[in-house]
Amino acid sequence: MIEFTLNGETVATDDDPSTPLLWVVRDTFKLTGSKFGCGAGLCGACTMHVDGVAARTCNLPVSAVAGKDVTTIEGLGTPDNLHPLQAAWHELSVPQCGYCQSGQIMSAAALLATNPSPTEADVDAAMEGNICRCGCYPRIKKAILAVGEGSLAYDATENAAELAEVQS
Amino acid sequence: MNTINVSRRRFLQTSAVVGGGLVVGFSLSGCSAGPLPIDTAEGGLVPNAFLQITPDNTITFYCPRDEMGQGVTTGLGTLVGEELDIDPMALTIAFAGVHSDYNHPSMGVQGTGGSGSMPGHYLPLRQAAANTRAVILEAAAMALGVPVGSLTTDNGHVISGEERYPYGQFAEVAAKLEAPAETPLKQDSEFKYIGKERPRIDSIAKATGTAQYGIDVDIPDMHYAVVVRSPVAGARLMNVDKTPAETMPGVTDVVEVASGVAVVAEKYWQAKMAAGALKPEWEEVPLSKVDTAQVKQDYQAGFNSDEGVVGPEEGDIAGGLASAETVVESEYWTPYLAHAPLEPMNAVIRIENGEADLWTGTQSPAAAQGLVARFADLDTEQVRVHNTYLGGGFGRRGTQSHVIEATQIALAANKPIKLLWSREDDIRHGLYRPASLMRIKAGIADGRITAWDAHRVGGNQMPDTLRQVLPGILPGMGDGTLNSLVGFSDKVFRDWFVDPSSIEGLSENYDAENLKVTHTTVNHGVPLTFWRSVGHSYTAFAAESIMDELAERAGIDPVELRLRNTEGNPRLQNVIRAAGEKMKAMNPAPGHHLGFAAHHSFATDVAQIAEVSVVDGQIRVHRVTCVVDCGIAVTPDVVRAQMEGGVMYGLTAALYGELNLENGAIKESNFHDYPILRMDKAPMVDVVIVDSGTAPTGVGEPGLPPIAPAVANAVYRATGQRLRSLPLRLTAQA
Repeated sequence: MIEFTLNGETVATDDDPSTPLLWVVRDTFKLTGSKFGCGAGLCGACTMHVDGVAARTCNLPVSAVAGKDVTTIEGLGTPDNLHPLQAAWHELSVPQCGYCQSGQIMSAAALLATNPSPTEADVDAAMEGNICRCGCYPRIKKAILAVGEGSLAYDATENAAELAEVQS
Repeated sequence: MNTINVSRRRFLQTSAVVGGGLVVGFSLSGCSAGPLPIDTAEGGLVPNAFLQITPDNTITFYCPRDEMGQGVTTGLGTLVGEELDIDPMALTIAFAGVHSDYNHPSMGVQGTGGSGSMPGHYLPLRQAAANTRAVILEAAAMALGVPVGSLTTDNGHVISGEERYPYGQFAEVAAKLEAPAETPLKQDSEFKYIGKERPRIDSIAKATGTAQYGIDVDIPDMHYAVVVRSPVAGARLMNVDKTPAETMPGVTDVVEVASGVAVVAEKYWQAKMAAGALKPEWEEVPLSKVDTAQVKQDYQAGFNSDEGVVGPEEGDIAGGLASAETVVESEYWTPYLAHAPLEPMNAVIRIENGEADLWTGTQSPAAAQGLVARFADLDTEQVRVHNTYLGGGFGRRGTQSHVIEATQIALAANKPIKLLWSREDDIRHGLYRPASLMRIKAGIADGRITAWDAHRVGGNQMPDTLRQVLPGILPGMGDGTLNSLVGFSDKVFRDWFVDPSSIEGLSENYDAENLKVTHTTVNHGVPLTFWRSVGHSYTAFAAESIMDELAERAGIDPVELRLRNTEGNPRLQNVIRAAGEKMKAMNPAPGHHLGFAAHHSFATDVAQIAEVSVVDGQIRVHRVTCVVDCGIAVTPDVVRAQMEGGVMYGLTAALYGELNLENGAIKESNFHDYPILRMDKAPMVDVVIVDSGTAPTGVGEPGLPPIAPAVANAVYRATGQRLRSLPLRLTAQA
């Protein structure tokens, strides 16, 4: 049995200790926001936070996170309660296919946690491990810089209220 | 040499229909017009295949095209929102099941590709939404006892005097009325959503990890499957000892399928580990002896062989060359490429009690349904396809050997399964963008093209794509007949007609009185299919490189040369002029150089300027300016996003993309040896959308073709080296 904290809750698994964390989270704990892209830590689609640090989890054995604190995209924000990066992703219409975006946002969130106002070069360095096959890079960069500068106009609460009004 | 003269105009028409089409340009869907695959809620109004309005005012749009990132839910949702009068963001999006009502209006099949969604649906979907609004208004007038003429609408509500009533309040009454068929559409000047700056419909789901892709689907009792396939395409399994896998933890089944050996286990990682323990033996096929060097050698020989077909031909090439002041002849090489969508191929399937459910992200839901029916021996009506978001498509999800595999595994193992390909499977066992060797000999006099003689050697995409798609579209047809059809198409394109997707883009941009395109098919057995922008992905590199070569040799400005030779293509000329003016006004940083290219594809015209530097032999693209004319831009920000994405996808091909054969197997395997552009190397992209009042044309593909030649043309200016092979590699440090 390996125990760790997943989005604030203590969990335990009897999956083989060599199983990559990504598959334990997706297949055993049924959180599918983190994606599989390469299986070799090359694309970043599987990025989660382990003790606050961005980690590629498709080749990180679950045994390596015993006793640690794991956060996935589901733990960062929800459609009703967006993290500022998620709000920026919406405001700038960042995603295309969207498959890489959980990993992109987790890498960006880890960057902002230690460097709240990154430069363009800081963003390049922090995001270089995340592939976006659709090529959303200019918008990803713009969104991270906008959050860093606090220049967001998007109000998630107001948007939710508007949608509620339509459906009332 | 067989010569069949197809006039250029005729060729262009055919090409427009078939060249970029996902599947085929003729209707073969065979779908019966049975009941719609829609669960109608109690009191719900389903006025057509695209919409449902329920009493709680949930307005669901059953999107007939597949969302692979190109923004089709936002684009088509905007058409619906406009005429139904509701904020597109408030629509609930569902992906349509399989039904002939969801066939692409002009392609005649239920598939997504060829940058055809917006042009195909621009009027039909608006009409469906306008008719729906009209029937709601009629029901409201009855329910409220007021004349229809006194009612208006606003954002999903009927307005009567000071009162607002949700559409849903009238759904039940409206369901009993007959929706009108010919409601007048809005004038362009009345648009609230079309052409406006609006957010994407799917961005919140995709930023929160809640958007569901095929890989995310989970069903009761689901097991996981991994397949081991032959390293060489088309080679069958000769022998395998299943024991090493069968005895591993969690493994429930090891079964043979048409493509190889499948391992089924309780968990994905168990299946993956067990599959690694298998040592299958594969048959030798002709491809097993082929290396990349052999391909290049055979293509070169193809220029001189007497096998080949003449496609478009006009005038007299010899005379045109004789009257030229400047003649340039160059050869261009472009390699095999994988699509590498970030979500690897996968499928979830349950087959029980004579019925099947398939969940997969597909560009071809009808073919997926047919494949399951064919390989599970069911009628198509017994197969439900549940489409999801696609983690990238780019043409790769139009063919679906993974659906055949999933069906065969579920039957053999007798349990519901999720099949998942690895990245290595994706790079090594897919269908590919064909390699090409192209030679263009062109002459100009007084700035006018007097002769354009182009020859392409390589494999054709259509026969292999048909081989994959036809069994799904015609599930009832026997293997023998299908094999004959595919074999026939192979022969047709080898000996009689040029496969339009092989040469599209090689000759259409410029006016040339004397023009000839020759094609020689040389095929080594690497499976081929459409890759974002199809033939244009390589032909534009040749055509737009030689334009700069001609301009330089003749001492003419390259933009001016293009302008002088596009009188027959005024829309292309217009984007060239607009981009040319931008280029003149640019003031690149010291050491930065500009390169220009323009191209017409999928009825859309695009010109691009690449700002490039070369330092220590490394090509770096700093900024790209892109001018596009796609008719009315229904969702301008999606148009910009597709231009940005087309540039990035094309830059990966220009700077890195290359697959090599070694003993018939693809040598590359993952992102370390098949690199994808990353953020630190990605340019900023400025997109200018030409103000155009004409009907919309597509944008998913046309942003890609100009970027490789634009960069190559800039590299020439930076270094004096004319690079005629992709990926672009400098021969020595510049």
